[in-house]
Amino acid sequence: MSSWLDYTINGLIVGNVYALVAVGLALIFGVSRLINFAQGSIYLVGAYIGWVAVVQLHTPLPLTIIFVAVAAALVGLIIERFGLRPLQNSVRIAPLLATIGISFVLDQLVMLTFSPNPRALPSQLPDIRFQIGGGTIGPLDLLIAGVGISSALLLFVFLRYTKLGWAVRAASQDRDAAMQMGVDVNRVNQTVFGIAAALGGVSGLLVGMYYNQIDTAMSLQATLKGVVAEVVGGAGNVPGAVIGSLLLGLVESYGVAVFGTSYRNLFAFLLLVVVLVLRPNGLFASARQAPPEPLTGTFIAPSRPVRIPRWALAVAVAAFAILPLLPVSFYILQTLINAWLLGMLALSLTLVAGTIGQVSLGHAALLAIGAYTSALLSLTLNIPVGLAIVAGGLMSAALGTILISPSFRLRGHYVSIATLAIGEIVSLVILNWESVTRGPIGISGIPPLSLFGYDLISPASVYWFAYAVMVVLALLQSRLLGSHLGRSFRAIRDDDIAARAYGLSLNRYKSLAFIFGGFAAGISGGIAAHLYSYINHETFNTQQSILALTVVILGGLGNVVGAIVGAVALVGLPEMFRIAAEYRILIYGIVLLLLVRFRPQGLLGTI
Amino acid sequence: MSTSAAEPLLALSNVNTFYGQAQVHFDLSITVGRGHIVCLLGGNASGKSTTMKIILGLVKPRSGEVMFDGASLIGLTTPQIVRRGIASVPEARRLFADMSVRENILMGAFVRNDRGAVAQDLDKMLTLFPKLGQRLSQRAGSLSGGEQQMVAMARALMSRPRLIVMDEPTMGLSPLYVDRVLELIRTINQEGVSVFMVEQNASLALEIAHEAYVLQTGRIVLSGAARTLKDDPRVRDAYLGGSEAA
Repeated sequence: MSSWLDYTINGLIVGNVYALVAVGLALIFGVSRLINFAQGSIYLVGAYIGWVAVVQLHTPLPLTIIFVAVAAALVGLIIERFGLRPLQNSVRIAPLLATIGISFVLDQLVMLTFSPNPRALPSQLPDIRFQIGGGTIGPLDLLIAGVGISSALLLFVFLRYTKLGWAVRAASQDRDAAMQMGVDVNRVNQTVFGIAAALGGVSGLLVGMYYNQIDTAMSLQATLKGVVAEVVGGAGNVPGAVIGSLLLGLVESYGVAVFGTSYRNLFAFLLLVVVLVLRPNGLFASARQAPPEPLTGTFIAPSRPVRIPRWALAVAVAAFAILPLLPVSFYILQTLINAWLLGMLALSLTLVAGTIGQVSLGHAALLAIGAYTSALLSLTLNIPVGLAIVAGGLMSAALGTILISPSFRLRGHYVSIATLAIGEIVSLVILNWESVTRGPIGISGIPPLSLFGYDLISPASVYWFAYAVMVVLALLQSRLLGSHLGRSFRAIRDDDIAARAYGLSLNRYKSLAFIFGGFAAGISGGIAAHLYSYINHETFNTQQSILALTVVILGGLGNVVGAIVGAVALVGLPEMFRIAAEYRILIYGIVLLLLVRFRPQGLLGTI
Repeated sequence: MSTSAAEPLLALSNVNTFYGQAQVHFDLSITVGRGHIVCLLGGNASGKSTTMKIILGLVKPRSGEVMFDGASLIGLTTPQIVRRGIASVPEARRLFADMSVRENILMGAFVRNDRGAVAQDLDKMLTLFPKLGQRLSQRAGSLSGGEQQMVAMARALMSRPRLIVMDEPTMGLSPLYVDRVLELIRTINQEGVSVFMVEQNASLALEIAHEAYVLQTGRIVLSGAARTLKDDPRVRDAYLGGSEAA
């Protein structure tokens, strides 16, 4: 049994690791007002470069660290130069989406190069423990603490005493004014990305050595933890990020001590949500600054939606309706069923992210709530499946809206962080609430789809069911968008302050959007549960949230037809070309990057 | 006063600027003579601030030419333009709020590499703006509006510019500070720095300017010596009469 001192030491060491990630995030946020969702991928790349250095090149420890830092910095510079700099004059959401795309691409490249199986990353330090007080500490702990402290010192000296450091600070306080002093902002961005990447890469290496193992799932976890630590400390605040990281490390460590390992992440995300709700600027917020430019209409790419004649839509709807009557393969129907399910999720997300401008990164949680509700109701209470699915939709609408409501006061990127955290919390609650959700075992033997007592077993009947539900939801949503309600939603998206000045209650309209969106997503999740017959806490994961976001952006934010076209394209095209599953995520990432760069308004245009 | 034969320090000629579909400038032509204070007057949305942004390279014109000291500024980045010798006092000061007053002033010398001379110039600023002496280590964001304006002007001077562009230097200041700022602009100008200022407060601006232009929805409708414009009935009607003559 470890002592409290051990948990404290462990918390501080892990906190040091988080700090290396979070400080980079804070530097980047300071200069670019951007939450770099690719930070965890650089950390992952650092860990694998470290593995190559240690296991294949047999470099001594100091050389390993330098090697990783330099290589990771290079990756950071490439991301800045080719991923983000072209987006400088783009809409505000573009760089955020680009970093998500970049993280997908990097993670998949690592996975394809090194296989998804975990690898052992041996620590290059002797495995001995020193006794101090009631606890123990090892050489690796000391190394991590040393790297953390010396990085912090170096960064302090850099920011305080060098010309480039001054430029970084000036640019992070007022970018335009810094340019008018002669500061080359591109160079500042480069510097910041290079430093952030070097720190992130070394952090990945140290974590790999600490746990003796690396795998590709590290990436998202690192991004999430780094973001939590950074936001807790106050976005853009470098010392705040360090303190936030240590705090996060301690909270997690004590949480694990009291409740067990599976609660570790739950504490991290609860800490984030509590801080976001109570002190959205973080515990150590720096002075409030005026936004550099008016925010009106700059959030999503303005465009004129592509007009599709009514008859063409009607023909398309009819054609897909009679498809099962034609001699098509089971495989095609199966693919399209998946597309319709994704289409429902996309309808939900295009309303929430596109129409009212709350870019949710945790939308899969709504699927999970609908799926678990419907599965449990039909399985344990023998409620007819049709009814259970509707109940799943309602539960998702209600619970989803309640969970998200604390973040209604947040704006822009913070909404994305909050929804991401809430999505993770839902999945962690499902994992840990064993008495209801059956925990990690998941739910098996979910009854198949049925309607009015008739089981829908044949692919054609399932197809029609999913298709009909989606078309009805799409029609409802189109009506909604055409009404004055839709106009109010868009007003809030384009300028929430002006909308409020005209008497629109932001909370009420955001609730309405999430209720409607939650219902559609919950229905999709419910149908999926009965279709798959087995679900667990990982069935609906962040990857699906991001896939849905890519679909919605591909179709055009806020565009109902676009959401469905996007779903068919992203589910159908990879199937058609028989692209192996491991390359799909890579392709989604590339699609997202290309869209953001060349057609931010999507195929059919934003509405 | 320099003669009209001398080449102007800054010349905008036939500048057309667009924000998306909307045209902001229509064949805008403005010259700033060496050693002069030139003032651009205009109401809201007349395109005044965009003119500043054009000079500083923050906004690119669709057509037209901007010449500074005989060389074109078109296609240069803002830092490059600053290095050519143009400094700015942006609208609402735009200080680096979390940096100290000293750091803010020294940021003005960012493009310079002569440390010794920079230190001397800092001392010079403290004689020019004596109040800032006691404030050097204070956070710039904690100063009053008038004090911030002093810091912004000191910061602009630190690059040893040949031209300072100022966007509404008197906006939001108490009457006492307005007088002080105008006096300082005159002092700066007497030391050989040309000044191009954008102002809404015509009567004050015309007090110290040599020449002035009146901009209305993107077009120059009047220009000439400040002295004559001051008595021009059209300027009187538009800017000096009624509530504007505060």
